[in-house]
Amino acid sequence: MNNLNKEKAMIMHIDLNSAFATTEQQAHPSLRGKPMGVTNRISKECCVIAASYEAKYLGIKVGMRRSEAMAICPTFILLETDPPKYHVVYQKLMKIMRSYSPKTKMKSIDEGIIDFHGLEPVLNGRTLEDIGYEIKQRVKDEIGDWMRINIGIGTNRFLAKQAAGWHKPDGLDTLDHTNLYAYYKEMKLTDLNGIADRNEARLNAFGITTPMEFLNADEFKLKKQVFKSINGTYWYRRLRGYEIDDYETNLGMVGRQWVVKDPSDKDSYLQPCLSFLCETTGMKLRYREVEARGICVWVTYQNGEYWKGKRMHKTTFYTNQEIYRRALELFNQRPHGIVRTMGIYCYELTPSSRSQLSMFEDVVKKDWLTKAVDEINDFYGTFTVYAGTSLEGKKIIKQKIPFGGTEYFELLLKTA
Amino acid sequence: MDPTIQINQQVDIVPIFRAHAPELTVCVPWKMKYGIHEIIFTKFGMRHPTAKGKRMIHVFDMSDGVNDYRIEFDAERLIWTLVSMVEGM
Repeated sequence: MNNLNKEKAMIMHIDLNSAFATTEQQAHPSLRGKPMGVTNRISKECCVIAASYEAKYLGIKVGMRRSEAMAICPTFILLETDPPKYHVVYQKLMKIMRSYSPKTKMKSIDEGIIDFHGLEPVLNGRTLEDIGYEIKQRVKDEIGDWMRINIGIGTNRFLAKQAAGWHKPDGLDTLDHTNLYAYYKEMKLTDLNGIADRNEARLNAFGITTPMEFLNADEFKLKKQVFKSINGTYWYRRLRGYEIDDYETNLGMVGRQWVVKDPSDKDSYLQPCLSFLCETTGMKLRYREVEARGICVWVTYQNGEYWKGKRMHKTTFYTNQEIYRRALELFNQRPHGIVRTMGIYCYELTPSSRSQLSMFEDVVKKDWLTKAVDEINDFYGTFTVYAGTSLEGKKIIKQKIPFGGTEYFELLLKTA
Repeated sequence: MDPTIQINQQVDIVPIFRAHAPELTVCVPWKMKYGIHEIIFTKFGMRHPTAKGKRMIHVFDMSDGVNDYRIEFDAERLIWTLVSMVEGM
C-alpha cells in the first residue's frame, strides 16, 4: 500500500539546536540556562535572529522584535552576533561530518547532510543510530559541552530533516517505512518542511487537511490539480521516502539588501548606503569569479509600496565603480518617498574573463585598480581601502550573518 | 538587554599549556591581572581564531565562575587584551 520506499535509511541530517544562541551560551557560561537571544545589531526595534531553548520555552520566537521579547521576559538577554565564533563551530561540525563520509553537504550555517550510501562496508556493522550518538558525543567533546544537536535519519533528505525536527532538542530519530504512518498521523500539514500557509491552503482546497491525507492523495491529483506542476509528483515521491532533493543549484544572482536604519527619503543619506551595498556586491561577484550583465535596484517604501528598476547591459561588469554607476542611474529614477528597505542584485552572470587582455587602456586601468584594492584588502582586512562614496554608508550598515547558504562565509569573516 | 561591558585594555595573563589535553584546551589563560584585581579562570567557554588583516588573533571566552571574560591574544604582537566582560546575574 502507498508504495513507500523500503530501502534502508542512509541519509543523516544534522541540525545544531538554536545554533547562534547555543554557541553564545557555550562561550558565556554565565548565560547558560537563561533566556537569551542573538541579533545582528542591537537597536530599539531589532529582531531576535536566534533564541535559546530557555527563551523558546517562554514563547520567544525567532523574528520577534526586541520589545515583544522583553514584554514576555523582562530579563531576556540579547547579544550581537559574532561571525568568527559561529564559523569555528561550523568548521568543526563540518570536520566531524566529513570524517564519516565524503558525501557531506552543509545546507546552511547550522545544518548539514551526510549521505552514507555505498559506505556500508566502512560502517563495520554499526547502525546509523550508533554513529549518530557518537557524533553527538564528538560535538560535545570537540566543540563544547553545551552544544547539542538533533539528528534525523531517513531514506531521503526530506524524511531525514523531518526526523531531525521530531524530538527537539537533542533528539535522534529514524524515519522509514516502518514508522512513517505513525509519524504522519502525529503531524500537522505545516509541520512538513516546505508546507507553509500558502501550500496548506492549496492542499486544503482539495480536501487534504492532514499529512496522512496528503500521503494518500494520488499522484495525478497532486500534479494536475493541487500543485498544477511537476511539484505534485515531487511531493508524491518525497513523502514516500524517495530522493528527489539531491541536486545542485546554479548561481543566478548576486546581491545585497538592507533594511534602512532610519527610514529616509534623503539622497544624502541613501546614496552612500547604496554605494556600500554596491561595494559588497562587487566583492561577492569577484569572490564567485563571475561577471554580470544585468543589474536591478529595488526599494520598498514606508507606505508599503514597492519599486524596482532593472537594466541589461551589452557588456559585463564586475568592478565596484561600474556597479555603483549603473545602480545609481536606476536608483535616481525611483519615485519620491521614505525608503524602508533597499537592495541591489546583479544577474545574467557569466564566468569571469578578467584574464583576457583588453585593447583599451582605460579598461585595463580599472581592472588593475580593482585588483590592487582587492589585494590590499585581502592583506590588511576588508574595507581597508574603499570608495569615498561609501564612507558614510559603511558607518551605518552592518554585515549580516548569512542564514541560508554558506557561500560567502569566508568573505564575511574578512569583514568581521 | 545586552549585558556586555566593553573594556579593551591590555592585561597581564598567566596562561597554562597542557601537554596531554584535548585540542580545545591545550593552551588557555589561567590567571589575569586587571587593575588591582587578580582573576582566576575556572571555566573555559570557547576559543576561536580570527584575523585582523593578516594578523592572527586568538579569542578566548573564559569564566571565573561568576563573570565571563572575552580575552584576545594577538599572536604577532604577543599582547593580551581584555576586550569585554559579561557580569553574571
